[in-house]
Amino acid sequence: MIIISEKNLQDFLEKTKKDFDFFDVGSQDGKPSFKKYFFPPEEEIFRLSDSRIGTAKVSKKFILFGLNLPQLEALTQLDEIMEKPNKDYFYFQRRKQSFVIGLVKEKIDVAPGGDIVLEDRGKGQYRVLVNTLKGKNLIKNYNNFFETVDEKKEKIPQIPEGSSLSEWSKSMRQILLDSELLANAVEWSHGHPIWDELAQKCLGCGICTYVCPLCHCFSIEDRVGLDDKCSRCRKWDACTLPNFSKIAGGHSFRPNLKERYYNWFYHKFVRAYREYGKSQCVGCGACKHNCPAKIDIQEVLSVILRDYRSNQ
Amino acid sequence: MIKDNNNKKPRVAIYDFTDCEGCEVKIVSLREKLLLLEKKVDIVNWRLGQERFESGPYDITIIEGTPITDYEIKLLKDLRENSKILIALGACAALAGIPAIMPEKDRKIWYEKIYSSQYHPKGVDALPLSAYVQVDFSIHGCPVDEDEIIRAIEDLLSGKTPRYHDYSVCFECKQAGNPCRITEENKPCLGPITQGGCKAICISGGSPCYGCFGIREEANIPALIKILEKITDKNEVERYLTMFHSRSKEINDHK
Repeated sequence: MIIISEKNLQDFLEKTKKDFDFFDVGSQDGKPSFKKYFFPPEEEIFRLSDSRIGTAKVSKKFILFGLNLPQLEALTQLDEIMEKPNKDYFYFQRRKQSFVIGLVKEKIDVAPGGDIVLEDRGKGQYRVLVNTLKGKNLIKNYNNFFETVDEKKEKIPQIPEGSSLSEWSKSMRQILLDSELLANAVEWSHGHPIWDELAQKCLGCGICTYVCPLCHCFSIEDRVGLDDKCSRCRKWDACTLPNFSKIAGGHSFRPNLKERYYNWFYHKFVRAYREYGKSQCVGCGACKHNCPAKIDIQEVLSVILRDYRSNQ
Repeated sequence: MIKDNNNKKPRVAIYDFTDCEGCEVKIVSLREKLLLLEKKVDIVNWRLGQERFESGPYDITIIEGTPITDYEIKLLKDLRENSKILIALGACAALAGIPAIMPEKDRKIWYEKIYSSQYHPKGVDALPLSAYVQVDFSIHGCPVDEDEIIRAIEDLLSGKTPRYHDYSVCFECKQAGNPCRITEENKPCLGPITQGGCKAICISGGSPCYGCFGIREEANIPALIKILEKITDKNEVERYLTMFHSRSKEINDHK
């Protein structure tokens, strides 16, 4: 078993901060998700000038530190999404440049994502789970900070049972376990009065999609600059906004907030289940935490599930 | 929107009505980009920026400020007749903004207080340009953002119709890493119903969003008013909604 002490961890982080760009997401609880480090809110894809094409430069190597359990799961899922139907070049360029280090407070047998996961055992000790070759090499290069110990001979603090996640997250993750039921229920709910209620309440500001670690829709914008250079850039977009489902001539497939908000759920719980076998939600609570209208995704799903069950 | 004029540069005029001229200063502060812009268009009439006053017709006319007097209203109508494209620059032109802050019924009291009872007001009313003529596009803001001026002009020059941002200020506010005024600080904010493009500059600087970038397409205004009325009293909500929007139909329909 590989372990690292609290003091060595701090030294290791200080050292890596000198060698790489470093971003700590753990200290940004409830803030926009980590996805921006791989999929920025706005990025130039290419630039055309004097009949030459230049593609955007990719960042230098960086460390993304402190992802918790739902965030690690989300990253693994986002990788799957970005792989289909074709590998997203820009996303995976950044993924390649990154070392992702998770920090979890619960006992995990298998690392749900990231290159290295640190399991906080308390008493200043962390168990180190190596998940990828990249993670293995990182540890090898900084091996003076890590120790390999024999679990049977040495006393390593055991992690207490239970989870450090909030009660809300725990119950949301229970709901997510049966993603087939969720898919059927959400699909069935089209026309349910709850969507009228939500359309009254929802501001349509799009915050939920920006903070969601798994929302990944974007739009493409072409510009011809005053300097005659053309650029194509992609920008985060949100399915709750009116232009997202507009096509030529101004026709819109989802002409009102009710349809658009339903579609947000439909994509997460119905389409995602059909395409990937699971919901595009990890129960992190970012959407609920950041919603100015205090819409709680768990409450919405609970009502839908209750009514779906009693209608079967 | 602007087609090639036999390779001649589009003729541009920049006019101002009643306002602080801050948005025109924003054009000046484009600096190097203004020089680039001058290579693409021919600014033939711009009182603030140059000593050249050619008469119309113009390809693009950019108007800042609120038409207040009969003279300004007539000039606006003439400019519309003589312009292929008419652009409102800034909140005063696009929304009536600050000049319209005073409720009509209170004007008389303040005329007397400020200018004495001898004063004969020259102003007719404070309404946005769109109350008198068709406006092809509004570059929003108080003041406007340099990048938004460039975006609109780039689109026009490349033959596109400039589009309004349908996303909210919240999008940019989240990128700026600000704590949310509504959910985290329990303070009022018009960000969720306001068009982005401002880079959330006010909120980043500790001020609320009063909506100077214009109301977003299909914004749920009544839902936000309900939320704001839980945070503060009705008068304060009214103050927020009338800072720039005392003449906005979208807002007034929900009061």
